[in-house]
Amino acid sequence: MEFKDYYQMLGVAPDAELKDIKIAYRKLARKYHPDMNPDPGAEASFKEVAEAWEVLKDPGRRAEYDELRRYGGRRDQQFEPPPGWESAAGAGFQQSGGDFSDFFNSIFGAGFRQQGPSGGHSRPGQDVEIELPLFLEETLESFSKPVEYRLSVVVQGQPQELKKSLKVTIPAGIGDGERIRVRGQGAPGPGDGPAGDLYLHVRLVPHPLFDVEGHNLLLTVPIAPWEAALGAKITVPTLTGKISLTVTPNSQSGQKLRIAGKGLASRAGRGDLYVVLKVVMPQESVGAVQELWQQLAEQAAFDPRAEWGR
Amino acid sequence: MTMSTSALNISLRELCECEQVSRQWLVTIVEHDIVSPVSVAGAVDDWVFETRSVQWVKRAIRLHQDLDLDWVAIAMILELQQQQEQLVLENRCLQQRLQRFLLED
Repeated sequence: MEFKDYYQMLGVAPDAELKDIKIAYRKLARKYHPDMNPDPGAEASFKEVAEAWEVLKDPGRRAEYDELRRYGGRRDQQFEPPPGWESAAGAGFQQSGGDFSDFFNSIFGAGFRQQGPSGGHSRPGQDVEIELPLFLEETLESFSKPVEYRLSVVVQGQPQELKKSLKVTIPAGIGDGERIRVRGQGAPGPGDGPAGDLYLHVRLVPHPLFDVEGHNLLLTVPIAPWEAALGAKITVPTLTGKISLTVTPNSQSGQKLRIAGKGLASRAGRGDLYVVLKVVMPQESVGAVQELWQQLAEQAAFDPRAEWGR
Repeated sequence: MTMSTSALNISLRELCECEQVSRQWLVTIVEHDIVSPVSVAGAVDDWVFETRSVQWVKRAIRLHQDLDLDWVAIAMILELQQQQEQLVLENRCLQQRLQRFLLED
């Protein structure tokens, strides 16, 4: 395995004082912390920095590391701990759920494995979160949905992928960004620890017609200029069927009409459907139609930009 | 295929056990308004949280442990992150709505 130069990782000199190492660690930890930095590579960088700090902050571990560094700490060479190596500083080390490199475990792991009343370390398994895309229509009523995902498990020291299939009840009225918890379906716990949970992160699939605003739906409906001018009875789709709608005379583009109770489901009842009118011109007008537009232009005396002239 | 029970809420006790958080830390997190129980009426042990709170509790604890930040700083960071998530979501919705009014080039 490759020797890890913890001093280089933190950008400090090998004889740096603890307070300077701490400053360097904090700066890099803030930079790379996965909760502060969305970059996909940030987590790996943070783990390296955290591992370096875990070693260098403890005088005992740092002394042992320095000794090994003198022994064989060259980055271009393969590193193996000296025969019979056993860390005294590793014992009592508390792993806070972080996973450290093979290099770290080869030096300090022995002491860690020995701790605990039964020699094993029991804690809950990791929670697993997966995205759950749902169509808007699927949120109206509770239903049972098959869910497939993969778990990383360690079997006899070897990492393996386990395919899982479940049926999960999706409650009516679930919203975008909500999380459904499925108890005990996450990663198995090390030792005798209970399994973690599965979290399904709900993502509403964009609909070709409807937009979502909270629990209300918006439907943009194209109408002809004469429908806007004269009023019309039109049929518009809802999530579950069709509905007849009256467009009043002199309607405007962007005008909203509310249809109560035809939105998305929620714990407080159904939301509303808002129809947004969009006045659309024909692609082209020729002959008699063109003449009618011309007559309209002459007789209507309408200036839509009259406000600008004031 | 296994049928599993799903939930949108998690009790204080379960949250403490699953995330290995002390009750005191959870109370501190609530006091700093990082997450809120569904109802604060009643005893602390009766608190129930929405499952969407779990990710913010986890994040708060990671920031506290990994970066040694105090709870006020964590509350500020997470509030800004929540606002940002909300704005990204809102922006996506508005972009989608806008596209329905704009013509393709």
